[in-house]
Amino acid sequence: MKKLRRFKASGLIIIALLLFITGCSQTRSSSGNGKKGGESDTIKIGFILSQTGTFAPLSDGILNGFKLYLEEHDGKLGGKKVQIKVEDDEANPQVALRKYRQLVHSEKVDILVGPISSSVVYALRDEVEKDKIVLIDANAAGDDLAWSKKSDYVYRTSFSNWQNGSSAAKYLANNIGKKAVVMAPDYPAGKEVIRAFKEAFKAAGGEVVNELYPKLDTNDFAPYLQETAALEPDLIYAFFTGSDGIRFVTQYKEFGLQGKIPLGGALEFGDELITQPTGEAAEGIIAGINYSPNLDNEINKKFVKAYQQKYNKLPNIFSVEGYDSATILDKAITEAGSTESAKLIKILKGISFDSPRGPITIDPETNNPIQNFYIAVNRYQNNAIVPEVIETVEKVTMPKTSPFE
Amino acid sequence: MSIFFVQLLTGIAYGMLYFMIAAGLTIILGVMNVVNLAHGTLFMLGAYIAFSFISNELNFWLALLLSVFCTAICGVILEKLLIKYVYGKELEQVLLTFGLSFILADTVEWLWGTEMKTLPVPGLLDGSISFGDTAFPIYRLFVVLFGCLLALLLWYLEARTRIGAIIRAGVDDREMVGALGIPVGFVFTGVFAFGAGLAGLSGVLGGPLIGMYTGMDSEILVTSLIVVVIGGLGSWKGSLIGAVLIGIIETLGKVWFPSLSMLIVFLLMMVVLIIRPNGLLGREVA
Repeated sequence: MKKLRRFKASGLIIIALLLFITGCSQTRSSSGNGKKGGESDTIKIGFILSQTGTFAPLSDGILNGFKLYLEEHDGKLGGKKVQIKVEDDEANPQVALRKYRQLVHSEKVDILVGPISSSVVYALRDEVEKDKIVLIDANAAGDDLAWSKKSDYVYRTSFSNWQNGSSAAKYLANNIGKKAVVMAPDYPAGKEVIRAFKEAFKAAGGEVVNELYPKLDTNDFAPYLQETAALEPDLIYAFFTGSDGIRFVTQYKEFGLQGKIPLGGALEFGDELITQPTGEAAEGIIAGINYSPNLDNEINKKFVKAYQQKYNKLPNIFSVEGYDSATILDKAITEAGSTESAKLIKILKGISFDSPRGPITIDPETNNPIQNFYIAVNRYQNNAIVPEVIETVEKVTMPKTSPFE
Repeated sequence: MSIFFVQLLTGIAYGMLYFMIAAGLTIILGVMNVVNLAHGTLFMLGAYIAFSFISNELNFWLALLLSVFCTAICGVILEKLLIKYVYGKELEQVLLTFGLSFILADTVEWLWGTEMKTLPVPGLLDGSISFGDTAFPIYRLFVVLFGCLLALLLWYLEARTRIGAIIRAGVDDREMVGALGIPVGFVFTGVFAFGAGLAGLSGVLGGPLIGMYTGMDSEILVTSLIVVVIGGLGSWKGSLIGAVLIGIIETLGKVWFPSLSMLIVFLLMMVVLIIRPNGLLGREVA
C-alpha cells in the first residue's frame, strides 16, 4: 500500500529528526572525566533546577547568571576549570532525589547548586548531610532551612521568606499607614512571607485587620479585592509570584484599586519578572526588593552591562542568585585551596562577598545571606517600570531560631 | 450581592474563552473524527505570535488577524504533512497530536523564552465600568460579546451556507459526500485550518486575560476537552453551553469552595455523562 509506505517513511524521518535534535541539546550539559576529590584541576558542578512549568524562567535566570560569572573568569572557579551538569527536578521532590543520586553517585559531581522549590530543598537536605556534599541553595526560600532544617552542608545565596516578608514592614507602617490587609497564595511560602510581615508590621505599631489566602492559580482576585476595599485599609500588602503575580497586579488596576489603596509588595512585585509583563499596572507599588538593575554600585553597573550584552535583556533577582552562587564558590574554593567539603564549609560559614545587590555575609547561625533590602516605588518611565529606591534597609537578617515554635 | 454578579460576569467571560477554543476542537472532532491534542499548543502559539507582532508596534487588531492567519496556515501544514495519514486510526491520532504538542510547546519556549508575558489590552477596551461600588474591566465584556458573535457566525455558516451543508453531510456520511464529487480531502484541510485558526484566535483574546506562560497549553487543553465531552462530540452548540457552564462553575467555585474548584468541574462532567452519555447535545457516535 503506497499510503502505508509513505507514512512509514515520514515516520522514520521524524524519528531521525527527533534523535538529531535531542543529540544537539545534549551539548548543553557536558559530561566529562573530572575526578572527585580535592586536588584535581577540574570541578564538576551539578545543578538541580526546575526547568518545566512556571519555574522555568527562574532556572534560566540562575543558569544565565552563573554562566556569565564563569565566562568572566575564564571558565574557572577557585582556579579550577568548571564543568556543569544540569538536571530538571520538575519541582517534584521524588524526581529531585532521583536526579540527585544521578548527579552525586553516577556523575560524581563535587558541588551542587539549586533548587528552586523549598519542598525540593527540604528533601535534598538530608541526602546532602549523609553524602557530605556542599549544596549552594540558589533560590529556595523556605524559612526552616535556616532553623529546624539547617545543615552544615547547605548555604543559601538567595534570601528567606522571612527576609522577604519583613523588610518593607517598618517603612510601610511609618510612612503609609498602620491598618493593613494582607494577601498571599495558600501555600507554605505565602504563609511564611505573611507571618514575617505581620511580626514586623506589629512591631512597628501597625495592625493587620484581615488576612486573605486565595488558592494558587486563582483566575480572578475580584472577590478578595472587593472584600479588602470594603474594609478601607491604609494599605494592602501582597505576596504573589509567577502568573498569579501578573494576574494580581493587572487586576488590581482593572478593578479600580490602583491609585485608591496603596499596594505594598514582597520583592517579586518590584522584580523584572513581574514588572516587565505588567507594565503600567505595576506603577505605584511599594516593594521591599533586594535587587534592581538600577542599583547604583560599581559591581552592579558592570554586571548589568555584561548581562545585557550576553543575553540581550535585563538581569533580575534570579540572574543575581546565579551570579552570586558562582561568586561564593569562587571565593570559598580559592580560600580553602580545594573542593573538599570539610574544608569548604569552614570557609562558607560566615563568608562575605560583594554582589550586584550590595555586600553579603553568610550568617553562620543560619547559613542565610545577610543582605541589604531596598524600599522602592515602581515608576513608569519610557514604557518600562523602574523601581526607584527611596530607602535602604541595611543588613537584613533573620532570627537565629524560629519565633513561631 | 455585587460580588456574586461580578464573579458571574467573569465566569461567563472565561466561559466564552473556553467556548472559542473548544469550538475548534469539537468541529475537528465532529467533522473529521480527529482527536487533536495539539489544540492547546495552537492556542499558545496564537498568543505568542500576536505577542511578537505587538512587540513590533503592530496594533492589537491587526496582530489578531495575522495570528489567526498564521495558526490557520500551521493547521494546513500539519494536516497535509501529518494528520491526514492517521484518519480513522484513533490511537495513532492521540500519539501523534500529543507528541506534536510537546514539540510545538518546546519550539515556542525556544523561540520566545521562558519568561512570563502578557498581551496588552487594546487601547479601545482598556478601562472599567462601574457597577455600584466595583469597577469591572471592559475587556471581559468584550470577550463575552465576541463569543456571542462567534456563536452567531458558526450558526450562520452551518445553517445558511453551502459549505455548512457540505460539512453537515460529511459528518453524517463521508463516503456519500465523496461519491457526489465533492473534494472531501480539501474540505477536511479547510476544517482543520479553521479549527486551528479558532485556537489561535482564542489564544490572542485570552492573552490579556490569563497571561502567557509555559504550561498554559496543557491547562487549556484539559479544560477544552472537558467542555467538548460535556457539550457533546462534534456539537459546537453543546460546546457553547458546556463552556459557559464550566466558566461560571469554575470561577464561582474558586471563590466559595477554593479547595474543591477542580473537583466541582469534574463532578459536573460526571453528572452530565450519567444523564446524557453523549454529552448535552451530542449524538450517537457511529
